[in-house]
Amino acid sequence: MSNVIEARGLRKVFRTGFFMRAVEAVKGVDLDVAKGEIFGFIGPNGAGKTTTIKMLTGLIHPSAGSATIHGIPVTDPRSRQGLGFMPEGTYFHEYLTGVEFLNFHGRLLGLPKEVRRQRIPEVLELVGIAHAADQRLGRYSKGMRQRVGLAQALIGDPELLILDEPMSGLDPVGRKDVRDMILSLREAGKTIFVTSHILADAEMICDQVAIILGGRIVHHGYLDDLLGEEVEGAELVVESIQPELFDELAARARRSVPQGGRFLFDFAEAADAEKALDLVRERGGRVRSLTPKRRSLEDLMVSKMEKEAEQ
Amino acid sequence: MSALARIAVVAENTAREAVRDKLLYNLLLFAGLMIASSVLLAQLQVGYDERIYNDVGLATIAFFGVLIAIFVGINLVYREISLKTVYAMLAKPVHRWEFMLGKYFGLLGMLAVEVAVMSGFFLAVLWFKSAPIYTGMLWAVGLIYLELALVTAIALFFSSFSTPYLSAMFTVALWITGHLLADVRAFGQGPDAEMVRPVTEFLYWALPNLDRLDIKGDAASGLPIEAARVGWSALYAVLYSGVLLVLATVLFRRRDFR
Repeated sequence: MSNVIEARGLRKVFRTGFFMRAVEAVKGVDLDVAKGEIFGFIGPNGAGKTTTIKMLTGLIHPSAGSATIHGIPVTDPRSRQGLGFMPEGTYFHEYLTGVEFLNFHGRLLGLPKEVRRQRIPEVLELVGIAHAADQRLGRYSKGMRQRVGLAQALIGDPELLILDEPMSGLDPVGRKDVRDMILSLREAGKTIFVTSHILADAEMICDQVAIILGGRIVHHGYLDDLLGEEVEGAELVVESIQPELFDELAARARRSVPQGGRFLFDFAEAADAEKALDLVRERGGRVRSLTPKRRSLEDLMVSKMEKEAEQ
Repeated sequence: MSALARIAVVAENTAREAVRDKLLYNLLLFAGLMIASSVLLAQLQVGYDERIYNDVGLATIAFFGVLIAIFVGINLVYREISLKTVYAMLAKPVHRWEFMLGKYFGLLGMLAVEVAVMSGFFLAVLWFKSAPIYTGMLWAVGLIYLELALVTAIALFFSSFSTPYLSAMFTVALWITGHLLADVRAFGQGPDAEMVRPVTEFLYWALPNLDRLDIKGDAASGLPIEAARVGWSALYAVLYSGVLLVLATVLFRRRDFR
């Protein structure tokens, strides 16, 4: 499979303050994003996600290392011909209407008039703001701005989409819409490089993820390989148990939480949960649910952050 | 798609943004009132009517033109960066120099319309008062426009690496100095100024000499103006603006959008 994005040893040093102190924001990032996959680039605020993205899109000059898009160095504007980029916290020309805005970006890409005429309503429909096509962007809500930002990234029907926090600022329905849109774009053969601080969203859509901490990629790989299939503990919810049994179960559990008339016990080992289940049955309590817990992307990132902090 | 086409797209969008800026209309309104006030001013000094219409009219076109060039011009570039609208544009196959030239020519387009509107006010006053229209005044308006083009290039140069406040301050300072360079040079040529002469000579030749483009006085008096004088002045303005634009694009190219 050919790589759409390749980066080797990408570094960025910023000079800040009066004494031009050197701050290394990105410390040698390597990336391989294969065609047709959704690549999640995740990490906490200030980890270097946006700086890396800006180097890939030509907005920031790398201090060292190299990167290519479709085999063309990112320092060459031609590398951005098949690229759709949605920046974080999208701010666009407020004096333009939705249609004027997309027309402007379509023209910057060199799309012929007939193509723009056909593509603009399609894209507005796709992102769900066709009703606001003739409204000025200054009147758009935050969610609508996010959607029109996505629309300008899609206007040229690009092979590669780089989306910086596309779900941020959207309500749950909007987030689901964007997730579905990203998945349908992958089905259409597009490659998507996405950052998100909403790890549950990233976990739902990404094929491959890279975790960046302190400017370094500390973990990367396919999501199934990273998270594994093994069960990591279980949550048991019971009701109608005696106080003695509650104490006994609480002593075995990592965490115990009363929930009205019910009690939730979080066990580190699945075997402990099974033993607890037997005890509840023996002593006349009622089991409401037993949920095996798998490792989540959030668990993985937090464990990586803890390891980094220890070092 | 050619570079020229991309420059045209950015220029058109810049002009559209400027045209939708309320500040522009406020400044044009004040310019119109100022030009119209020349009719009242002329009544204060009998016998100098035509001179007053011409002086006030041309000075207003120049002054409000510079105000618009500096404040609307600087804001248009700075806003693209501070509001991050530039991100989505430069993440397309657009060279940074194309973006800068697009902004520049968009501003020049807006300034052309603005000078034309103010000239319209001025001509309306002359027509209303049945005053003569000298050819020199058309040359003067042409050179005012080239001065605005040069001031816009200065503003763009500073805003390619500085904040809008500093850019405005530097540009205003350079505009004022540019009109005083003949005096600066004359000072350096005085008998007691040998020590500062190299500095004044350097300033005279290095800074934009805007006095070269100022023929308002002669034009307002109806004096003949040589075509060669206008031609050399125009060439000077175009070349100086060109050098500033090259420097602005070099600085803008090196810039990181953090």
